[in-house]
Amino acid sequence: MSITLDQVTKRYAGAPVVNDVSLDIGDGEFFVLLGPSGSGKSTLLRAIAGLSGVDHGRIALHGRDVTHVAARKRGVGLVFQNYALFGHMTVAENIEFALRVRHMRAKARRQRRQELLRLVALEGLDQRLPAQLSGGQQQRVAVARALAHKPEVLLLDEPFGALDAKIREELRRTIRQVQRELGITTVLVTHDQEEAFAMADRIGIMNLGRLLELGAPHDLYSRPATRFVATFLGAANLILARRTPDGIQMGANTVAAAESSPGVHEHEVVAVVRPEEVEVAASRDGLSSGYFARGVVHEVAFTGALESLRLRLEDGAQAPLLAQADGEGSASLLVTRTQHEQRGFEVHPGQSVAIGVRRVHVLPTPLSSFTACAASAALTDTLSRQPLLAELAVRMKTRIAMRTEPQLGVADAACAVDSPFVGTTAIASQTDCAQRAEWLLRRGAKDLLVLPEHAPVPQRVLIHWMDEAARSATLAVSASVLRHLSAEAVYVGIFPEQSAGAQHGMRELLDARSEAQLAHGLEMRTELRFGDVAQQLARRLAEAPAQMLIVGVTELTRFAQALRGLLDGGQWPVLIVYRGSP
Amino acid sequence: MSFRLPSVLPGFGLTFGFTTFFLSAIVLLPLAALVLAAASMHWSDFVHVVLSPRALGSYRLSFGASFLAAAINLVFGFIIAWTLVRYEFPGRGLIDALIDMPFALPTAVSGIALTTVFAHNGWIGRYLEPWGVKVAYTWLGVTLALTLITMPFAVRAVQPALLEVQRDLEEAAETLGAHRFYVFRHIILPTVLPALLTGFTLAFARALGEYGSVIFIAGNLPMKTEITPLLIVIHLEEFDYQGAAALGLVMLGISFVVLLAINLLQAWGRRRHVRAAH
Repeated sequence: MSITLDQVTKRYAGAPVVNDVSLDIGDGEFFVLLGPSGSGKSTLLRAIAGLSGVDHGRIALHGRDVTHVAARKRGVGLVFQNYALFGHMTVAENIEFALRVRHMRAKARRQRRQELLRLVALEGLDQRLPAQLSGGQQQRVAVARALAHKPEVLLLDEPFGALDAKIREELRRTIRQVQRELGITTVLVTHDQEEAFAMADRIGIMNLGRLLELGAPHDLYSRPATRFVATFLGAANLILARRTPDGIQMGANTVAAAESSPGVHEHEVVAVVRPEEVEVAASRDGLSSGYFARGVVHEVAFTGALESLRLRLEDGAQAPLLAQADGEGSASLLVTRTQHEQRGFEVHPGQSVAIGVRRVHVLPTPLSSFTACAASAALTDTLSRQPLLAELAVRMKTRIAMRTEPQLGVADAACAVDSPFVGTTAIASQTDCAQRAEWLLRRGAKDLLVLPEHAPVPQRVLIHWMDEAARSATLAVSASVLRHLSAEAVYVGIFPEQSAGAQHGMRELLDARSEAQLAHGLEMRTELRFGDVAQQLARRLAEAPAQMLIVGVTELTRFAQALRGLLDGGQWPVLIVYRGSP
Repeated sequence: MSFRLPSVLPGFGLTFGFTTFFLSAIVLLPLAALVLAAASMHWSDFVHVVLSPRALGSYRLSFGASFLAAAINLVFGFIIAWTLVRYEFPGRGLIDALIDMPFALPTAVSGIALTTVFAHNGWIGRYLEPWGVKVAYTWLGVTLALTLITMPFAVRAVQPALLEVQRDLEEAAETLGAHRFYVFRHIILPTVLPALLTGFTLAFARALGEYGSVIFIAGNLPMKTEITPLLIVIHLEEFDYQGAAALGLVMLGISFVVLLAINLLQAWGRRRHVRAAH
């Protein structure tokens, strides 16, 4: 491996900007770190270069641990967004800088300089000052300068940011060519997904300091695992659907999924439909793909090669639920069509069309949507506006449904609403909270979010499961929650007795950590505590503000007894992951 | 290039008129008067006054101490400016404001204060005495006073230039393998050198003209701790206006030559850059 990052964490003023990133980059690989601004990608690159230290974790280059090695001894070449050329030196002096530092003889320096200038196609400009070059030429000089000392790794920090489109394209090709010619391991940081697609062997997508997903461009585009990646890499329609044995049911209609999964029990999922996988026709019979719904054309925009449509779905209560609402509060479906499709069937705003879906991808996330649940309509409404819940829904690009259960918490009473619980159910934290939670879990709720009236967006998420059987599900839910929070994950293992539990406990911690890492890409710290579960959790929660607890449960009687003290009138958001029989 | 360049502000004629008028009234006329007063002397008298051993001693002290003070401020002014620009620390604003104190303080006050501290029984002087180091009433005291008075010039000249040194230039040099000292020598210093020279020039010029603070700490022993401005005052007190004018003319001449030399040096440095470009 050329570059190995192991649990790299960097904090500014306590908040993690790079959050537990582990990554291996192979020899000669062109790796692109992609993410929105503020996602921590540049900080990570600077950490690899040695320009900023890390608070936690290890960095190795070609098997050599460089975590505490100064930048000048790391043997990397770095290219900055604003070129960072030395203005008082000529092009020649700039390129020879690293060689001069290494006391190379003048003749050898000149030779290497000529070689590099040929490589970046700038022969003959040796004696110019940077100010006398165009932006594209300056960046070429910067690349040549970064390669002069034959670094093992080339790092590019948004190198095309300040250039116009045409030059950018040209420079992209040059850099890719140089990289192939030299076979040098390269990491490029960018926020431009098109650039990432054009250059990368592999892309790593960062958000909120976390490395969310990594893979080949095509795999990431066609099979994203998270909502963020689905919507950040190109456009995507997120649709709340139900997975059934026959396929993916969206609204009243079932579409076969790309990945079949026979034998699963029915549950709510988030489906991704790319705009180019949507088909429109005058009627249902005109569709060549699976019928999805009827809709009205709301907006038509011509964008050159493609036409972009926005459709409003019609079928009333039977309409599929779009997870993502646009500006006006109602959701619309994005469609892009090629020239060829446009010629086959022209549309104009206001027209009613039949919509088909060619390909559906289902996100593996266990958190599909939220349902606020309380005893009266007014309370439900208030709860649905709880700031943390609203924030989570926005970040997860999902909706908050409402469900009023007048008999909530009353023993032996049946549900007032005659439909199964879907997604995550949210209830308010109050005096008989544990009882209500048990009531809901016994009637089919799976994931239950208990919300105090005021709760800040968590900076730390504590993870604990009361039974080993709940481990897998708890980790899956935790990973999903943490993708949307800039928080650190801490697994808290609690054992009754210091002497008896210690050894077993350590092994369990390690197992938990490696499962979180392997199965969910979730990096978490681990803590071992001894004593009563509820007591230890309460103590841990009280230690710092802005914490949240995710607790996995399979056995309800024990759960209600143990956590009553924690839930009733608690000050912390608690997400209960229940995977037992109701 | 035409004499008159287009400008956003109107009234070129008026502003140019004012400029020449004020320059004439405030700078050129008094200087001309000085030259005239000295010119009315007989040549041998002029030489006698200007080259008297006492006058030669005062030149040495005035120019030597001023040069030394400016040189000290070149180094320490740079360090102070660096600290203020590069580090965040509590009380930075206060220190930044303190830099300008010598501007605001009447120079005589600075002189008295320094004398109190550095006299043989002063706060610091008392500890230097056993080591045989005398500050007050020696050339050392003169240099010290001049250093204090001219410090803000050096700091304020370098500060903006340091602010403009981009951090990523240093980082780029670092990733290319350069040591900190190498970065300083080859990246930072070339960038701030013009500003450093300007700071030096300003400090030197100010030190030459300083009078108030020096006379208190110098002790004013003829030949030893007597600066030229003081000698001029002594001539004036003896109603020897011509002698004073003659000394003034010499100071004017030497200062002009020194400042011109520094300016030419800077211009040469700039030209060399541009030439390297072609």
